[in-house]
Amino acid sequence: MKKSASLIVLILFSIFAIFPVWYILAVSFRGDNAFQVVSWALWHEGSSLDNYRTLFTSTLFPIWLRNSVLVSLAVTIIGLAVSATAAYSLSRFRTRGQGMMMVALLATQMFPATMLLLPFYILLAKLELANHFGGLLIIYTSTALPFCIWQMKSWFDTLPKELEEAALVDGCNRFQVFYRVVLPVSGPAMVITGLFQFTTAWCEYAIAAVVLQDPELYTLPVGLKSFQASMATEWGLYAAAAVLVSIPVVILFTILSRALISGLTLGSVKG
Amino acid sequence: MMKLLTALLLGSFLLPICAKAEADTVVTIRLWHQLMYAHRDVQAEALREFERHNPGIRVESLYRDTESLRSSFQSAAQVGGGPELIYGPSDQVGPLSTMGLLAPLDDLYSADEFKDFDPLSLVKRHGHLYMVGDNVGNHLSLLYNKKLVANPPRTTEELFAQGRAYKNGFYLVWPMQEPFFFVPWVGGFGESFVGPNTEPRLNTPAMKQALAFIRQLKDSGFVPKEADYETANALFKEGKSAMIINGDWSWGDYKKAKLDFGVTRLPLISSTGKWPSPLVSTKGYSMNVNIKPEKLEATRKLLRFLLSEPVQVQFSQAVSTLPSRLSARNSEEVRKDPLLLATASVMEVGTPMPVDPELRAIWDTLRTQYQAVLGGSVSPEQGAENAQAEAIKQIRIMNEITQPDAQASVVKLIALIALVLLAFYIFKKAPLVMRDMMGPQRLAYGFLMPALLTVGLVIVFPFIYNLVISFSNLSLRTFQDWQITGFQNYTAVLMDPQFYTILWKTVLWTAVNIFFHLSLGVFLAILIDQTLPAKPLLRTLLIIPWAVPQYISALTWRGMFNQEFGAINQVLRDYLMMEPVQWLSKPFEAFSACVLTNVWLGFPFMMMVALGGLQSIPKELYEAARVDGANAWQRFWRITWPLLQPVLIPATVLGGIWTFNNLNVVWLVSNGGEPADQTHILVSYVYKSAFDLYRYGHSAALSMVIFGLLLIATLFYLRVQRRYLTKGLK
Repeated sequence: MKKSASLIVLILFSIFAIFPVWYILAVSFRGDNAFQVVSWALWHEGSSLDNYRTLFTSTLFPIWLRNSVLVSLAVTIIGLAVSATAAYSLSRFRTRGQGMMMVALLATQMFPATMLLLPFYILLAKLELANHFGGLLIIYTSTALPFCIWQMKSWFDTLPKELEEAALVDGCNRFQVFYRVVLPVSGPAMVITGLFQFTTAWCEYAIAAVVLQDPELYTLPVGLKSFQASMATEWGLYAAAAVLVSIPVVILFTILSRALISGLTLGSVKG
Repeated sequence: MMKLLTALLLGSFLLPICAKAEADTVVTIRLWHQLMYAHRDVQAEALREFERHNPGIRVESLYRDTESLRSSFQSAAQVGGGPELIYGPSDQVGPLSTMGLLAPLDDLYSADEFKDFDPLSLVKRHGHLYMVGDNVGNHLSLLYNKKLVANPPRTTEELFAQGRAYKNGFYLVWPMQEPFFFVPWVGGFGESFVGPNTEPRLNTPAMKQALAFIRQLKDSGFVPKEADYETANALFKEGKSAMIINGDWSWGDYKKAKLDFGVTRLPLISSTGKWPSPLVSTKGYSMNVNIKPEKLEATRKLLRFLLSEPVQVQFSQAVSTLPSRLSARNSEEVRKDPLLLATASVMEVGTPMPVDPELRAIWDTLRTQYQAVLGGSVSPEQGAENAQAEAIKQIRIMNEITQPDAQASVVKLIALIALVLLAFYIFKKAPLVMRDMMGPQRLAYGFLMPALLTVGLVIVFPFIYNLVISFSNLSLRTFQDWQITGFQNYTAVLMDPQFYTILWKTVLWTAVNIFFHLSLGVFLAILIDQTLPAKPLLRTLLIIPWAVPQYISALTWRGMFNQEFGAINQVLRDYLMMEPVQWLSKPFEAFSACVLTNVWLGFPFMMMVALGGLQSIPKELYEAARVDGANAWQRFWRITWPLLQPVLIPATVLGGIWTFNNLNVVWLVSNGGEPADQTHILVSYVYKSAFDLYRYGHSAALSMVIFGLLLIATLFYLRVQRRYLTKGLK
C-alpha cells in the first residue's frame, strides 16, 4: 500500500520531469524548423530523422562531442583528485586558516559571473591559454571545486575515525590510510562530486564562448549556440543536438548511480 | 588504461599549439561574423574562392551571435587582440567606435568607387567611415500566406474589416512584445520615434496614437492574445495564421518550409494616409583598431573581395539580400528576384536606423513602457510621457563621466593601508606556515595546496580587477582612459530605490526556489531509496532535467506557458477546469513561471545530493527507533533530517548563492525581464547595466554589493547551523 503510493508519486514526478523533453524531441524531428509548436504530437507529417543526420554529416558536431568529452573527463578526474585530497585535509587535520578557507571557498561563488568573464579572458590571454583547452580546464576545475570540497568534507566528517586509527596502528602511513581505507568507502560522495564536475564542464557556455575562438575547439554548448541566432535559430538542429547532448549525462548517471546507492558503503565500517 | 587516457588527454591539449606553429608562414585573417545559418554556406563558398586566388592568405571565419560578437570583440580588442575583421549589424558601430576599438575605413576605395554604394551602407560616425555594408534591408514587411489570403489589406481599415471577416484561425500575428515591431506604426502616424541626432522623441502625438492603435489591434480578436517571436513564427508556418509581420531575414526559412507567401508593405494608416515606416539598416564589415601593419594589406584585399559585386550577387541569389552596391543591384540575376522587388518597395517608405549608442537606451525604455501599455497597466498618454522622461534619464546616465574628487584619494589611501597591513600579516605568518608545512602536518598542507593554488589563481585576479573597476568611472565614454574616482558608484547603487525593490524580489526568488528544491529533493530521495519496482528507470527519468541543456529547456518552458497554446494552460483547462492563466504578461504570474521552471531545473540535483547523504545513515538507527515506537514522521525529523544536514548544508548554501545569481532562467523565461521589466533579479540588473548601458564601474560596484550581501548571509547561516556542521555523525 505504502509502496504503491510512493510509486504513483514518483511516476507523476517523472512525467513532470520529462514533459518538456517531449517537446524538444518533437521539435528535433520536425522538418519545418518551428519552435514552440502548438500540437502535442511527437511525430508530424514531414517529421524525419534528417536533423540528426545533418548534425553528423554536415556540421562539426562530432568534433564538438569529442572536445566536450575530453574536457569534461579531464575536469572530472583532476577535480576529483584535487577536491578529495583538500577535503580530507580539511576534515581530518587542523591547519592554519582552515575556517577562513572554508568560507573563502564559498565566497568564490558569490560574485556575479557576468562580471568575471572579462577578467578571466584577460588572465588567460596573459597566460597564453586563451583559445586553448588548458584555460578551460583551469577555470572549470576551480569553479566547481568549492562545492566538491564541501561535499567531500561533509562526507568524510560522517565517517567514523576508528577505522583509520586501526589502520594507523597496523602500520599504514597517513597517505595509505586515505588511499586504501577512506576512498574505498566514499563512493557516494565521489559519484556526486564527479557528476557535478562533469556536468559543470559539459554544460558550461559563457566562459567557453569567451575562451574558445576556433570552431574546431568548441565544446558542445558553444557549438550548439552557433545554431542559434536572434530571430533566426535552426531549431530542428538545436533540439536534435540538445537531445544528443543529454544522453551521455543520463548514461553516466545510470552507471554511476549503482555506486551511489549500493550498500557497500558503511556496513563494512560499522561492523 | 589510466596511462592511455592521460596520454590521450595530453595529446589533444597539445595539438592546438602545434597547429598554430605551422600557420605562421601564411597571413591568417580572422573574421568574426553573425551571419545566420543559411548565409554561412554562401560565405564559406566565397572565402574558399578568395583563398584559391590568394594562396598566401588564410581566412578563419567564426560565428558569434549578435550580443556575444560585440562583447567578445570588446574583451579581445581591449587587451590588444581580437579578429582583424568583424561583420555585423550597423548598430554595433556606435558603442565600438565610441570606445575607440575600430579602425577607420575612409581610404578603402576611391571617392568614385564609394559612389557605387548605397549611402545607407556606409556607416559614419564623427566624420569617419567605420563600416561598409554588403547589403541593406533588415526591414519589416507584411507576409501573407497566398493559400489563405488572396489580397492582403492595403490600409488599416481594410485590415480590420478583413480580419473580422476571416474565420480560418488568426488573421495576423507578430511578436507583440518587441518594440522593433511596433515603431514602424509610429512613423505611419506622422513622426519618427527618434530624431536626426538620435535624441528620443517618444512623447509625441504620433507615439500616443500608435500606442492606442496597437492596443486596438491586440484586442481586435483576429490576433492571438499573446505571441513572442517563436510562437508567431510557428503559427504562420502551420497555417494557423494568415499573415505575419516579419523581417527579410525570415524569408529564406519560409521558402525552405515550402510556404507559398507574398511580401508587401505594412498597411497604410487610414486616418493619416501615411505608410508605416520600418527601420532599414545595413550589415557590414568593420576593422579592428589593433590590426597589425603586416596584415593590413591582406585584410583590405579580403574586404574589397567580400564587398565586390560578384560576391554580393552570389549572396543575393542564394538568400535574397539586397546588395549595397548599385552595380550589383542592376545585375540581371538580382533584378528578376520578386522578393527583392518587394524589398525595394518597402525600402521606399523606410527610415534609416541610427547607429549611435543612445539608441540602446531608447529601445530599453520604450520596451518597458510599450509592454506596460500593451498589458493595460498604463494608458498610451502616460506610457509615452514615461518613456520620454526615462529615455532622457538613461541617456544622461550612460554618457555621464564622473570626475575624480577628494574621495579618489581616500580610496587610494585605504588601498595603500590595506596593502601594507596585508604585507605585514604575510610577513608575520609566513614563517609559522612554513614551519607547519615542514612539520608532522605536512600531508595536510600538501593535500590543500593544489586546491588552494587553482582557486587562488583563477579567482584573485578577477576579484581585484572588479574591486578596482568598482571605484572607477569606466564606462562607454571613458573606455580607454578611465580613472579611480571614489565611492560614487556605490552611492549610486545604494541610493537607487529600485535596488531595494529588486533586492527584495531576489531574496524572495531565492527563498522560494530553495524551499522547493530542498523539500522536493529530499522527499523524492527518500521515496526512491526504498525497494521499488522499476527503480533504476524512475531514478534516471528524474534526473533528466539536469541533463538537458538549460537554454533550450528554459525556452521550452516559456513556450509551455503561452496563454492560448501552451501545454500548461491546456492541462489547466481540460483536466482541472480552470481559467487559463496569463503566465507571461502579468508580473506575478511571470515570476511564478520563472520559479516553476527553476524548480524543474534544480530539484534533480538536490535529490542526488540527498540520495548520497541517505547512504551514510546507518540502517540500525531506524530499527532502534522503530523498536522504541517512533512513527515515520518522528523517524524523519529525529534521524533522517538531522543526519542529512552535513551534506545538505553546503548544497543549500551553494544552491542559494547560485539561485540568487541565476541570470539564465529569469532572462530566458521572461525574455529579459518581461513584462515591462517586472521580473528582474539583481544579477539581471547587473547584466543590463553592463551590457545595455555600458556602465562597467556601476555594475562592478553592484556586483561587489551582491557579493557582500551573500557573504554576510552565508556567514550568518553557517553560524546558525554550526552545531550540525561540527558534530557530524559520531
